[in-house]
Amino acid sequence: MLSLDFLDDVRRMNKRQLYYQVLNFGMIVSSALMIWKGLMVVTGSESPIVVVLSGSMEPAFHRGDLLFLTNRVEDPIRVGEIVVFRIEGREIPIVHRVLKIHEKENGEIKFLTKGDNNSVDDRGPYKPGQHWLEKKDVVGRARGFVPYIGIVTILMNDYPKFKYAVLFLLGLFVLVHRE
Amino acid sequence: MAARNGKNGLLEKWRIDEKPVKIDKWDGAAVKNSLDDAAKKVLLEKYGYAENFNLVDGRLLICTISCLFAIVALIWDFLHPFPESKPVLAICVISYFIMMGFLTLYTSYQEKNIFLVSVQKDPAGMDLNHTWQLSSSLKRFDDQYTLRVSFTDGKSKHTREQEITKSVGAFFDGNGTLVMDQFEKCVSKLHNTLATEKKTK
Repeated sequence: MLSLDFLDDVRRMNKRQLYYQVLNFGMIVSSALMIWKGLMVVTGSESPIVVVLSGSMEPAFHRGDLLFLTNRVEDPIRVGEIVVFRIEGREIPIVHRVLKIHEKENGEIKFLTKGDNNSVDDRGPYKPGQHWLEKKDVVGRARGFVPYIGIVTILMNDYPKFKYAVLFLLGLFVLVHRE
Repeated sequence: MAARNGKNGLLEKWRIDEKPVKIDKWDGAAVKNSLDDAAKKVLLEKYGYAENFNLVDGRLLICTISCLFAIVALIWDFLHPFPESKPVLAICVISYFIMMGFLTLYTSYQEKNIFLVSVQKDPAGMDLNHTWQLSSSLKRFDDQYTLRVSFTDGKSKHTREQEITKSVGAFFDGNGTLVMDQFEKCVSKLHNTLATEKKTK
């Protein structure tokens, strides 16, 4: 076998210790997962933290800003407010401002959005045949933000190999290192 | 150690029990771990005690249950997308953090600093097994390593403890290699003091 000295610690472990190393790794992943799911439950949004991907909302939000969302049923959507929504069939969330709303008596709404920095409204990007968004497309409303930090996420998505390399190294470190 | 069947053959080749232990002498955690392991070795190999895994198994069980909660949450959310899975997610998240609380309590109060619970079987085969426990502490950035041996008599349930504090520099050479002979002497002395105390009582 290759003599990789950093694996020496692992080679001296008995079955229980090896299992504990794996569990340790599992617990770190589980903790992150549980915090994320916990945030989902508390905020009511299926994606409680999003990154602004384009400059379509400048000067309010810039590419790379991190937004914290809530999606409570009681929050009414009004014209002029910023919402984060998903277009049916697409994964990426979009952060734009509400331009027009049609509201039915029972509270159902249809609304149109536009990015502050865009020259046209969002009808173009909507699904073919779709002219309005509905409540179900909304991911949430921005309640707080941290600037610039999201650039890391954008980098990781643009260079997936980098992301996998970082995750692989982190995982390896946790598995091999003894507490 | 002697009885390993063919299934464990690959594990055997991978393990390096006999290679002298070499660690980074400035890494406090590695130093403590290697001293603990060496102390374990002395008690288990030299004196032939049998290790009792109940304490460690308890911790492993708590961790496994926590991970199971997380896995259930993941799978449920995947099968029933978000808004419908809210109650199940809430239960799993809360349970997970309760388990984390359990784990912290368990490691702080049950396990404390104990890293070995071993049983000295009575050679006559009668039911009076004595328990030897090892625990240790090494403060961050400190060089004073404290090893505590505790002996619990199987019959009287009486516990006696003896501890020794020494600088880790006494057991490691300049390269970070553990000098097993020195350490073994130290552990054996500790052990024998307790053992003889038992006989004189």
